Amino acid sequence: MTTTTVNGKPTALPDDPDALLIDVIRDGGLTGTKLVCGSGVCGACTVLLDGTPIVSCLLPAQAAAGKSLTTIEGIGSTGLHPVQKAFMAHDALQCGFCTPGFIIEATAFHDGWRATKGTATPSREEIAAALSGHLCRCGAYEGIYRAVAEACSGRFDGSDPIAPRLEARDKVTGLARYTVDIQHDGQLEGVILRAHVAHAKITGLDLAPARAIPGVAAVVPLLDDDNMIRFVGAPIAAVAAKDRHTALKAIAAITFKPEPLPAVIGLDAARRDDAPVVFEKKDRKRAGNVSEGAGGAPVSWKGNVRGPSAPFSQKAKQAKSWLAEARQQGNPLLVEETFRVSTQQHASLEPHAAVAKFDGDQLIVHISTQAIHESMEKIAKRYGLPHDKVRVIADHVGGGFGSKGSVGLETIAAIELARAAKAPVRVAFDREEELSVAGYRPAAELKLSLLPSTEGRLKALSLTAHADTGAAVNSLIAGLARLIYPAEAKELVDFDVLSNLPPGAPFRGPGGPPMSFALEQAVDEAALRMKVDPIHLRKQWDTDPNRQRLYDWAAGLDVWKNRKPAGSQTGRYRRGVGVATGYWLYLWQTGSSVELAIKGGRIVASCAVQDIGTGTRSVIANTVAKAFDLEPQDVEVRIGRSNLPPGPGSGGSRVTASVVPPTLLAIDKLKAEIKRTASRAPAPGSNAPWREMIAASPDIAVSAKRQEDGEPPPGVRPALHEAGIMGRVFGWVLRLMNHMVVGAGVPSSVQVMEVEVDTWLGHVRVLNAYTGLAIGKLAAPMLARSQAAGAVIQGIGYALYETRETDPSSGHILSGSMEDYRIPGIADMPKLEVHFDEAGFEHVPGGSVGIGEVATVPTSSAIANAIRDAIGVRLTEIPFRPDRLVAALKGRDAA
Amino acid sequence: MSVAVTTAKPTAKPAPEFRAGGTDFSERRRSGVSQGAPIDISAAGSKAITWDADGAALIGALATIATIATDARIAAAYPGIAASAQGLATPQVRQVATLGGNLAQRSRCWYFRRADIDCLKKSGSTCPARSGNHLYGVAFDLGPCVAPHPSTMAAALLAYDATVTTDRRSALTIAGLLGDGSVSHADHTLAAGEMIESIALPAPLAGERASYKRAISRTYAEWPLVELCARVVIADGRFQLVRLAAGGVAPVPLRLTATEVALSGKAANSASIAEAAKAATSGAKPLPMTAYKLDLLQGLVRDVLERLSD
Repeated sequence: MTTTTVNGKPTALPDDPDALLIDVIRDGGLTGTKLVCGSGVCGACTVLLDGTPIVSCLLPAQAAAGKSLTTIEGIGSTGLHPVQKAFMAHDALQCGFCTPGFIIEATAFHDGWRATKGTATPSREEIAAALSGHLCRCGAYEGIYRAVAEACSGRFDGSDPIAPRLEARDKVTGLARYTVDIQHDGQLEGVILRAHVAHAKITGLDLAPARAIPGVAAVVPLLDDDNMIRFVGAPIAAVAAKDRHTALKAIAAITFKPEPLPAVIGLDAARRDDAPVVFEKKDRKRAGNVSEGAGGAPVSWKGNVRGPSAPFSQKAKQAKSWLAEARQQGNPLLVEETFRVSTQQHASLEPHAAVAKFDGDQLIVHISTQAIHESMEKIAKRYGLPHDKVRVIADHVGGGFGSKGSVGLETIAAIELARAAKAPVRVAFDREEELSVAGYRPAAELKLSLLPSTEGRLKALSLTAHADTGAAVNSLIAGLARLIYPAEAKELVDFDVLSNLPPGAPFRGPGGPPMSFALEQAVDEAALRMKVDPIHLRKQWDTDPNRQRLYDWAAGLDVWKNRKPAGSQTGRYRRGVGVATGYWLYLWQTGSSVELAIKGGRIVASCAVQDIGTGTRSVIANTVAKAFDLEPQDVEVRIGRSNLPPGPGSGGSRVTASVVPPTLLAIDKLKAEIKRTASRAPAPGSNAPWREMIAASPDIAVSAKRQEDGEPPPGVRPALHEAGIMGRVFGWVLRLMNHMVVGAGVPSSVQVMEVEVDTWLGHVRVLNAYTGLAIGKLAAPMLARSQAAGAVIQGIGYALYETRETDPSSGHILSGSMEDYRIPGIADMPKLEVHFDEAGFEHVPGGSVGIGEVATVPTSSAIANAIRDAIGVRLTEIPFRPDRLVAALKGRDAA
Repeated sequence: MSVAVTTAKPTAKPAPEFRAGGTDFSERRRSGVSQGAPIDISAAGSKAITWDADGAALIGALATIATIATDARIAAAYPGIAASAQGLATPQVRQVATLGGNLAQRSRCWYFRRADIDCLKKSGSTCPARSGNHLYGVAFDLGPCVAPHPSTMAAALLAYDATVTTDRRSALTIAGLLGDGSVSHADHTLAAGEMIESIALPAPLAGERASYKRAISRTYAEWPLVELCARVVIADGRFQLVRLAAGGVAPVPLRLTATEVALSGKAANSASIAEAAKAATSGAKPLPMTAYKLDLLQGLVRDVLERLSD
């Protein structure tokens, strides 16, 4: 038997030649090392082998024989490493799932740098090259640059810093436990058998051969009751076994007969008259849902096309006739274009995962979820259990971005396997499942016509969206164009085009970025034709008070004032500057409750909410600390447990606006209760009276539920009011069905992007990004900045790199690895300026609304406008890859 | 993903495979694409770089890419080799991946890399990429399979006229090792059980310069759309030697001989480079989705040669 040394401890290595180092490390309980891509691309599994960073997901375990391994748990075990301190201080992390890998690499870089260069500061380029083998989906790159630079320069050699993110220390030391890290005694591993054909009826499903395999504890069917397969990767059955290897062997033993049916793949094929139909009329309710809210009014279907859905149109006929007239007259101001956006995968680094365990009649489920409380309710309903018999737990969630908002297959499979096996079961998607069947923002074709009036106002707008929703419905893209730029008439029509592809899902501002991609390019084009400044035109057309202030900020930027005339450059490298606008709804969730208690002289805040990297703990801690003159770390925040007071889901950018107001109410109640129960008043002249009173207080608890907002100032209205009566109806439905309220005031963003296009190699680089945000007061300023930066880099991914690739006939997802699904790396992060305009939400208790979605809506369109500015050609399809750039420059259609 | 495979596979016992760093093998093994058991060779050969009196290097097949990327003498004598090694994969992968493994790695084609799709490299009878999605496919269509060869080092070694010695054959050229692109069932001509032992580089020419660049969409860590390793000797402002080896465009690395010939004796300036770059695509036969690679190839020729002419 061979051995290695792990963090100084001798450890036996398995003889199995297939054993990989990561499994030895994680099976030994060191779960700070994360498995993400499994192909050496993302770096989350990086460990030090004799001091050198290597990826443990690809290294045979035997390669470590006789060597010394250091995992994240071994870094800073006797005191934090300067890199760890710098990551904490600069908030160089969000969900934290990639953080251990980055820390390992950065400590090796730091130690080598200090040994040869002392306390010199490395450049951005040097840091980027060193960390080029790591990916972060939240987009914490800006903080990482600062952290590594300052750690190298010696700024963090001293005492431990105070982190703006409450749980930062657990994340930089690898101690933060995610769902995939849960390991109960006797826990089994669950694996899902999936279809490899796009359309078939399954008969003769025989699970017995799998059950007969030694080590298999349970096999459950997962086919829907119509026994239909409608996409490659559709679930058929699941197996729980003593280990993954056995489970994989077992699912391969399951037999069935697929009766193949004609399949149709993608937007264009599914719209043809002769296309095979994916959902017959009786099966339509089986389709998934790509939106965050409930579905609206009933919508007609024709074949695979669901629609038109046009509740937000306004004088649609008038719009049509004006546009037709302008077309006929050859009106030079009429902007008409067809845009295409591509499918964007969430690519959360922690996969969809659940660990289910029955403890007597109590079901305990750890889920990587964006909705603790709602998941508990849904699981209880599905399995007929009382709420108090279901406990959902998520201490840390490795990213979600919209894909983890409902009770997913991983959870259902884990629960059913655990019940059948009478043992705890973990189900964690592998990377290919994550990048194929775990949801995505649908691609879309967007036909747009925009007509300014002779007086330079916006007269008519028509936007028709066909969304490539796979086996799902309810896309809303075109309709969102109603809530910005009032016009005399708008025709806004949405269609879902269903095909034999996995179902889409909500993704960060769902239809917002696609809508912006079309509309903001059209407004830009109109400004070019009208020969007016694009910011000036937006200021004229857009009446929103928040955005008016952001336009003034943008217009004052040097990069905007000094830009070259559009399309005037001829060299190899051409620079351009573009602007775009975005908005999102201000949403909060009714019933969101927060408990504040004093326990043992310490203040404890509790809420069944989750932190998916967005900073919920810090938002609550900051709010409480401020009211009692404490430091945030003096407040214990308990979240991530469904048995706490009900909290909101992390979707629709609603968490901050749902939890801060009841926290403020609870603060008032707690203050009164502290005073009421105090045995004596604080010492006269005390400079920390609340601290003293809390320390001396008996154990008490109060709670409060989200109150209504105050009266907004005149002219400040909910975004939906732009859409007249239908908007109000939509608002009522949201409140009744989804417990979400669309509040007054519109969270807004204006972004200015400077790009450089390499016309020889078709390469686009975003050099500088300026993002102006009106989202009210900042509940956690540094974390808000991190979110803003992350939203920009995710938008850059959408604009430049990310797209799902499929086989056009079989429906296989070809981009199922992180080599072929390309998310941005640290070197792709531009220099960033974030401007927060904190006014506009004074009627909201606390004054804060959400940031996650609004901050990413205009990024792709600002980049598109910047490219147009640089090269004089407008590209209408993202991602703007090299193949598309060189084709556009040659006036050729890209493939 | 755990996928139901309903068609019966040939039951022949899969052939074992050599494993050095394991960076390619482990992924194929995990995904189920490759079923053969590993034979560890990481202690079975040389990882040394040795130099003869003429200044020619012999690199053991087990030398890591990181070693080659950072070895000062390699960088001085063969800057194109060093730059290619610095440009591939990620820092962590370069630490364990070997030169021999880089040459013997399997295709990156996304059809090949899925266990539930048959293709010519997996005893299938057709190439699903040719009729399907071949966005990253070849632009010089030389054989039934449309996947470009994945080895960056192979292109660099081609530019340097390197030869390869195996435990059975010696002095194989890169073309001898990888074939002419017409064979599609394999990624190289190594027989079962044949192991690469060393790679020999001829002594560098007096005054030669070299460079490497890949065209990708992001900044780092991406398989090349097109890549180019170039060597030049410039005297009196004129090209005395031009060697261009391109990857990412054909089933094997390609010498761009038409451009080499066009530049021979020409002034080392951007005008002559731009003119000769047009010849880089001679003989190209792009697929419906890969015409862009020819633009990128011309762009790379101009980029790299202009930098070398500075």
